[in-house]
Formats: sequence, C-alpha cells, structure tokens
Amino acid sequence: MIAEIGIDYNLCKDPLGCRKCLSVCPSVIFVCGPTKIWKGRETDPSEYRIAGRYFDKCSGCGDCVKVCPTGAIKVEFLPREQLAQQFRIERAAQLKERNS
Amino acid sequence: MCWVCEKYGNKGEKWYLNPENYARRLYKVRKEGKEAAGSDADPQSAGMGAGVVAELVKARISGNLEWEEEIKREALEHAYQTHFGQVVTLDEYLQILDIAYPLAKMTCGCRRVQRGMPDDENFTCMGIGPGMYKWERWPETYRGGVEFVTPEEAKEWALMNHKEGRVQTVDVFGTPYIGGLCQCEYPGCVAVRNRIDYDFKFLLKGHTVAKVDREKCTGCKSCLGRCQFKALNLEVYTSKAYVDMDQCFGCGLCVTACPTNAIELFDRENMPGLAENW
Ligand code: SF4
Ligand code: SF4
Ligand code: SF4
Ligand code: SF4
Ligand code: SF4
Repeated sequence: MIAEIGIDYNLCKDPLGCRKCLSVCPSVIFVCGPTKIWKGRETDPSEYRIAGRYFDKCSGCGDCVKVCPTGAIKVEFLPREQLAQQFRIERAAQLKERNS
Repeated sequence: MCWVCEKYGNKGEKWYLNPENYARRLYKVRKEGKEAAGSDADPQSAGMGAGVVAELVKARISGNLEWEEEIKREALEHAYQTHFGQVVTLDEYLQILDIAYPLAKMTCGCRRVQRGMPDDENFTCMGIGPGMYKWERWPETYRGGVEFVTPEEAKEWALMNHKEGRVQTVDVFGTPYIGGLCQCEYPGCVAVRNRIDYDFKFLLKGHTVAKVDREKCTGCKSCLGRCQFKALNLEVYTSKAYVDMDQCFGCGLCVTACPTNAIELFDRENMPGLAENW
C-alpha cells in the first residue's frame, strides 16, 4: 500500500520554526519549501509549507503523527493499484490536452 | 571525458578546471516588479533540482516507464542547459578553490528543505562568483547570510568536510558557469537522493571510479559507512571491502579512510565498461 499524507495548513502555521516532522521521520518523507519568494526580504515563516513529497517511501510508522504538536498530519494508506489507476488517468488527461 | 568536458573543457581539461567556467561577469538582473511583489513558488520543488520529483513519484507509482522517461528526458534537457551538478574528488575541489573567486560559505538549502536544519547549524554550502555579492538583495536565496572566506580558509574547511564524510560537488547556475561547491550526502542532499532513489541524473557521476585491491585489503572495515551512494559494503564471506563500481560516483571518501591504501581511484574513461556511465 502507499501512503496518502495530508497536512492541514490551518494548523501547521510555522513549519520551519517547528520542524518536528522533518526531524523525526526515519524515511525523510517530508520537505518544507516556500510558497513565495520576495526581493529584499526573507519569506515569511507562514509562507512555508510542509509536503510529503516522497510519500511513496513512507513506511507508515506513525512517528510524524505522534510528534506533531498541532495534529496537522494525517497518514492514510491506499492500495497501490488504486493510486496507480488515479495517476494513469491524470497522465491520460495530460496527453490528451497536449495532443489537442 | 563527459559531455560537459567536451563542450566546456579547455583542450582535454576537465570542464570544472577551466577558469572560463567561473568567469561569469554579472548575473542577469532579474526583472523588477514581479519578485518585488512576491513571486509564487512551489514548496514541492524546493531543493537542488527537485522541480519534477513530485511528478516522478506519480509516474513511478503508476508503473508507467514511458512517462517516467519522458519526465526525465524533458527535465534534464532543460537542466543541462541551466542548472545541474557533478561529483568531484577532493584534489579537484582544492584546485577549484584556487580558480574560483570570491568564495563564501552559506547555508545548505537541501538540508533546510528536508530536515528543517536551522541556518546557523547548516553552513555547509560554498557559493562562488559575483552572485555572492547579491545576498542582501535576495535574502531568501541566501537565508542566514553569507560568510566570505579566503582560499586558504576554504581549503581547510573543505578538508574538514571530506573528513566528516561529505561528498563534494560542483554546481552550475546558468550553464556553464559554476556558482556553487557543495558538501552533500544521502539522503540530506536532494540531488543525491533523487539520483539514488529515482535515478534522476541532475547530479552526474565524477570522472573517477574506486577499485578495491583485494590483495591489500585487510578487512578492517574503516571504509564502511563512508559511501553516500550505496556502492560500498563488506563482502563478509571473504572479509574484504566490496565496491560496486557500476554504482560508484568516484567521490573518494572511502579512499582516504583506508589505512592500507587498498582503494584507489581510477579514471572512468580508462574503464571501457564504465566510460559512458555518468
Ligand atoms: S509515517 Fe513514519 S515514514 Fe511515514 S511520513 Fe510519518 S514518520 Fe515518515
Ligand atoms: S510537526 Fe506538525 S506543526 Fe510541526 S511542522 Fe510538522 S506538520 Fe507542522
Ligand atoms: S550542499 Fe548539497 S545538500 Fe546542500 S544545497 Fe548544496 S547540493 Fe544541496
Ligand atoms: S565507493 Fe568510494 S569513491 Fe565510490 S562513491 Fe562510494 S565512497 Fe565514493
Ligand atoms: S579500509 Fe581498506 S583495508 Fe579496511 S576494509 Fe576498507 S578497503 Fe579494506
């Protein structure tokens, strides 16, 4: 099965300040990146976002959920074939748009 | 010689030892306005060469090889014209420190992205060239500021990094101009990780390959744990170190850990079976 990792951005407001999930995950699944780049100043902490970029490598150990102080992380598992099917549909749509 | 040398090397010299590739005058001044107002960024793209990784993960899961190859082909075509990296040996790194100027230590973006490491514990990147004078203008890019160093200070620091076990790479910002010297590892470095886990060739292998001399190896295990590329382990049944030469990136970290000089770096181009394996 493959993990579906959801982050509630209404709860996770300062990920670089907290960074508990980034630090605890044994499989380095998360990344934290800016949603905005400004000239002359650093990006506001609130404009950073956590994402489970490498979710295909998540073991489901649950450490991130346990360590998150705001309860922002949800990890659920889906059958690989179900996700594969979903991504194949996305790909087909992409190809169709390109060829039209 | 890899394709970058063929294109940007100086008469058979390796491309990253060609001073011209450090001679960028000034970075193009980016258009005012858009960035000043704050331009959108995709948090999923953060880290060295990670723009298409989210897409690659989907292709992987769907088992669609053709899709995966297409993503890589298109992304690398663009990357090789703009922004990519290559592993170099410690000797080469030290030579580069005599060519490149100015040198400035800065925070490592990848480890901030993947581990959230605070900037002051994370000054493991070396920026080079006139771009370094612009840190005040683009504080997000140079988060935590920059610290200018002399070539001598930089060499000492490079030796320390090698000793600690970090792979050294050159990084291009606007081909062929080298703007960064990195100290990387798996999985903290996004470029190393994406190469190892998804075979995304944003980071090229180096010009050398390590080979174990089985006569000299005593099986002392001092080299174990040095390899960041999953290319080195102990052949337990013969009690000798084993290097997967096909997988080796030629960083030389194992070489300097060996007390009996049982591992040596050889030129990739003199190994017909590996000469095209970048
Ligand atoms: S469940 Fe475990 S492996 Fe998966 S993201 Fe959370 S900490 Fe990482
Ligand atoms: S642990 Fe929770 S609150 Fe902290 S950065 Fe991660 S998701 Fe956000
Ligand atoms: S030092 Fe390595 S890990 Fe850090 S930013 Fe440079 S490429 Fe990435
Ligand atoms: S085997 Fe040695 S030279 Fe090759 S990548 Fe690993 S540490 Fe570097
Ligand atoms: S450090 Fe040298 S002698 Fe010891 S196991 Fe490795 S290759 Fe063999």
